Amino acid sequence: MAASLASKWSRVGRSLLGGLGNNLSGLSSTSHEMASGNFLSQQRTFIQMRTVLKVVDNSGAKTVMCIQPLKGRKVARLGDTIVASVKEAMPTGKVKKGQVVHAVVVRAAMQHGRFDGSEVRFDDNAVVLVNKAGEPTGTRVFGPVPHELRRKKHVSILTLAEHLA
Amino acid sequence: MRLEKCWFCSSTVYPGHGIQFVRNDAKIFRFCRSKCHKNFKMKRNPRKVKWTKAYRRLHGKDMTQDSTFEFERKRNRPERYDRNLAENTLKAIKKIDKIRVAREERHHKLRMKGKKAKEQKEAAIELEQGIHLVKAPSVLAQDQSLTLPKIKVKVQAQAEENQAMEE
Repeated sequence: MAASLASKWSRVGRSLLGGLGNNLSGLSSTSHEMASGNFLSQQRTFIQMRTVLKVVDNSGAKTVMCIQPLKGRKVARLGDTIVASVKEAMPTGKVKKGQVVHAVVVRAAMQHGRFDGSEVRFDDNAVVLVNKAGEPTGTRVFGPVPHELRRKKHVSILTLAEHLA
Repeated sequence: MRLEKCWFCSSTVYPGHGIQFVRNDAKIFRFCRSKCHKNFKMKRNPRKVKWTKAYRRLHGKDMTQDSTFEFERKRNRPERYDRNLAENTLKAIKKIDKIRVAREERHHKLRMKGKKAKEQKEAAIELEQGIHLVKAPSVLAQDQSLTLPKIKVKVQAQAEENQAMEE
């Protein structure tokens, strides 16, 4: 609880340029809390057919499986849209298990090159469900999302997001 | 453009360099190069890795408290552009840098004080204890040129005596 509050506070100073702070203070306070073991087990490859992804919105789906990256491609990366099949869903949600949905990859464990030449990498593979027009199905987005979504014309996901990275 | 600090080694991350890892709680770990990133993935603690700034600061290798460090810090509010201010800042940066380097040199000098004496002392002990490995004791008894300076003085005294005898 305290951690989430702290991260909310630190959000104030963040800009879209990737100029997001911490570091010196991070060294003193967080050297013991290294990244969780979770991301090490996450496969760091492209998102392709049969990749299972976490759903980070309140549409009701929990996990989806990629069945086709859009634009007739074989693989998807951070910010790309995919067609997915809902594998796990809440009984009260908007989407049902087995439904075929469109989704935007908002976090990818595989590193993604930024426009300035640096790279960004996330803990897990996560998506936000959208309709065919690209509007999000849910009303909330959890966790950090990259600012590259703006380039991909997904500003509505950005506005719903908790954190920008 | 903002110059960030590497999470692992605390060096400056210039735009377009390195990789950043975003944890699910939105904490961002920036790394200046793959070396730092790999060390992070190995879950190494920067305080325990000798080449990082964190280690050097913790163990008194580098200057830690200095007024020159106060100038470089993160500012969340962008400064309003002022031509005179920018000009003066550019001048000041050079000056501050010079002062910082001089102070660091002084710190290093102070830290290294007594190092040479210590090294010589250790070398003398090593020579005394290990000379028999290089020269057999029987040879040393005849020619003492390889022993310590202390003993050398005695040799000189003997040599003088020898000369006196020759005369």
